[in-house]
Amino acid sequence: MIRSKTPALCAAIALLMSANAFAENLISTEKIEKLFPAESADSVWIDNPFGNIEVVGSDSPGLAITAIKTVTGPDRASLKDGSEQTVVSFEGDRNVRLIRTILPRVHNGPWTSSVSYTLRVPRTVHVKIASRIASRIRVANINGNVTVNMFSGAIILDGVAGASIINTTNGKVLYVYRQKPSTNAQIQAVNADIDVVVPPDANFNWIADTLRGDVVTNLPVRAEFLGSAFRGTVNAPGGPTIAMQTLLGNIRILGAGLDTRLVQSVRESVTEPPQRPVTMQSLLMRPAKRIQLPISGGPFDFSASIADVEVGEVRGWAHVQTAAGEIKLGIVYGDCTVTSNGGPLDLGDIMGTVMASTDAGDVLVRSARMGGKVSTAGGIIRVLYTGGPLTLQSGGGDITVRQAAGSINAETRSGDINLTADPLQRTQHIQAHTLQGNIILNVSPHFGAEIDATVLTSRPDANAIRSDFNGLTIKREQVGSKTRIHATGKLNGGGDRVELFAEEGDIHISNVATSPVTVMSPP
Amino acid sequence: MSECDFMRENMPLLLTESLDPARRELTHQHIERCAACSDEWAGYRETWQFLGALPEVEVPAHVKTQFLANVEPPLRRLAPAESRRHVTRWLAQAAAVVLVASGAFYAGHRSKPIELKEQPASLNSYSIAESRVLPARLVSPNIEGRPDIENVSFVDSNPSDPDIGLSFDITSHVTVTGRPTDKSMVRLLRYVLENKNRAASPSRSRAIDWVRTLYSRPENAEPEIAEALANVLRNDSHEGVRIKAVETLNRMPGGASADTRGALIEALKSDPNPAVRIKAVEALANLARSGATFDSATLDTLRQKAVQGDENVYVRVKAAEALSSIHP
Repeated sequence: MIRSKTPALCAAIALLMSANAFAENLISTEKIEKLFPAESADSVWIDNPFGNIEVVGSDSPGLAITAIKTVTGPDRASLKDGSEQTVVSFEGDRNVRLIRTILPRVHNGPWTSSVSYTLRVPRTVHVKIASRIASRIRVANINGNVTVNMFSGAIILDGVAGASIINTTNGKVLYVYRQKPSTNAQIQAVNADIDVVVPPDANFNWIADTLRGDVVTNLPVRAEFLGSAFRGTVNAPGGPTIAMQTLLGNIRILGAGLDTRLVQSVRESVTEPPQRPVTMQSLLMRPAKRIQLPISGGPFDFSASIADVEVGEVRGWAHVQTAAGEIKLGIVYGDCTVTSNGGPLDLGDIMGTVMASTDAGDVLVRSARMGGKVSTAGGIIRVLYTGGPLTLQSGGGDITVRQAAGSINAETRSGDINLTADPLQRTQHIQAHTLQGNIILNVSPHFGAEIDATVLTSRPDANAIRSDFNGLTIKREQVGSKTRIHATGKLNGGGDRVELFAEEGDIHISNVATSPVTVMSPP
Repeated sequence: MSECDFMRENMPLLLTESLDPARRELTHQHIERCAACSDEWAGYRETWQFLGALPEVEVPAHVKTQFLANVEPPLRRLAPAESRRHVTRWLAQAAAVVLVASGAFYAGHRSKPIELKEQPASLNSYSIAESRVLPARLVSPNIEGRPDIENVSFVDSNPSDPDIGLSFDITSHVTVTGRPTDKSMVRLLRYVLENKNRAASPSRSRAIDWVRTLYSRPENAEPEIAEALANVLRNDSHEGVRIKAVETLNRMPGGASADTRGALIEALKSDPNPAVRIKAVEALANLARSGATFDSATLDTLRQKAVQGDENVYVRVKAAEALSSIHP
């Protein structure tokens, strides 16, 4: 028999008039108690979007629930509305008992509400909790399985002996084992830090994966990194597996009672010697860093997993490699090699050869005095000046060179290519190739070239080759379902070869008299 | 029927923009290389221009009735065969030309002499000319049909003047001038951006560049432009255009509508180009930092991206950073 203390019987409704000068809100609280005696459920599910939850296992039979509903609003009507629309529901049967807070999907009233639950449950039940935001969710003394899903807040599992799965986004996870772990645990987070405390003699397999955080312990581990994931054993091999993943947070496993000053990063203990070539796999296991440096007095060599790097001036060569992050270098007095597996690159005045590549992101090079190669798997490439031969490749995105005093080879899978030859150049070799987009080539009136320009298009009425110079012969021919427009000829009597190819776009060879950009000499 | 005859039959349809693109291109090419047809075409155009310059004069009802009575029987005799449809259209066009010309001739001889003077462009009297400038306020914001628009370019001859110009080719070269926030200007731009089948990718690409410069100013904020960019982001097959669209959306003032957010989420979820996904997640992160609230589906997508092992690490990190700024 269910003995129920319904809200009508035991609710204590209190309206507190707040004299808060900043927000003249009223708060109402309502206490709801429910007791399910002896034959209680095997599983208890709690679904509460906003509010704390505490579940404590007990040897006593029965399930005791206390819920405190709190509504905040500017007036009594809002409080009433909020209280009516925030429903605490007790459902289920003796197999699964569901306790949930029901809120309207959308409410326009000026109120907010939350419900805090405290549950006393038999130690053997399985517990499932779903929440969006809470200051704290605590589950203690449970031998059954525990599952917690939440968006933001602290999750504390204390003395949970059963298998557990925790999914969270922001906040913190603290898992305290009172006995040696005997079942698997999986903790997955995005930004949360994960702390696990185990008896110092516990044996288990440990998987820890964090991209930007660190992995530390004061226990003896044997480990190896596979990319960003650490796999090892704590104490002796064998036992259950505790898997922890957090993208930007830290992971710590501590021995209960051991000196916390002995904790050390497992990354450092297995980091490769620097002379070995740095691969993506080894790069991910390096600690993430944020570098902000006005001047590097000599060469600058840096590699990290996830790092935002900003150096104003490098008095030597620069070599930067990251798995992800933004890289910004000002003046580099020597060669500059920058490799990123993802993130934008912003390079200033590079005196030597520039070799810059990113797997995704825009690239800006203000000055590549000796030329080089710039590539992105997807993103826009902008070069303000190049003084040497420069190769540019984009997996999709525009390519712009504002002033090219060296040969250019530009290629993009989809995007416009806009190249401007240095007005002082009489001729230079240029290749531009886009599979979907336009090409605009700006050259000075006296620029000499042997032009070979092709447009391949399914819309011959829309796409064309236009030239501000005389002397080009334009032919059209049908190639399958497309039309090829081919222009050949010499500008100003001829010169180096200029090959332009645009699919589904225009080509425009423009006669532009521009002033050359002045590239400042280093001080 | 010789090639020249066939092409001459197309000329009235070419004048009235009734030819499909393939036949239009074919006819143009023929006119370029055939001197006789070139002369014929010049004559047609001259007549059109002359007719466009004439003031509209109401044809007396009895003249119209008599004329139609004479014209209709031969038309009825023509079989409505599919292969001859263009002939009937041509006849209808020719009939209209004759009707207008005869009306004008009749009015000219029975009423006061015609004075050719400049008149402001209006919605009702549209004349075909090589190049026309139309104020946006005189252009209907509702674009009827689905015209092909090519060679879109933008004119801002006087930066101190808020007025701008949008030029494009239909059959003649048209420039619509007005404020960026004029409904007709917004609708035209929207049409250029969204209709990938009617506006070539160079035009769309240039249009987005221009939109970025113009509509990222708070005083020009236009929800319709943001919607158009969201549609480009969703539907355009041209990766370079999508990159520009998402970058421009990120710079649009006034926050993002549910539609824009939806487009950003879809791009983050499934766009094959990593640059588009990066810019989409950066836009969402900016929204999160500005205190925007996200629904649970958006949160789920960001979370899935953050933990997706085969996603670019930078995209994952940015998704995680966006999540860290969100307070649902």
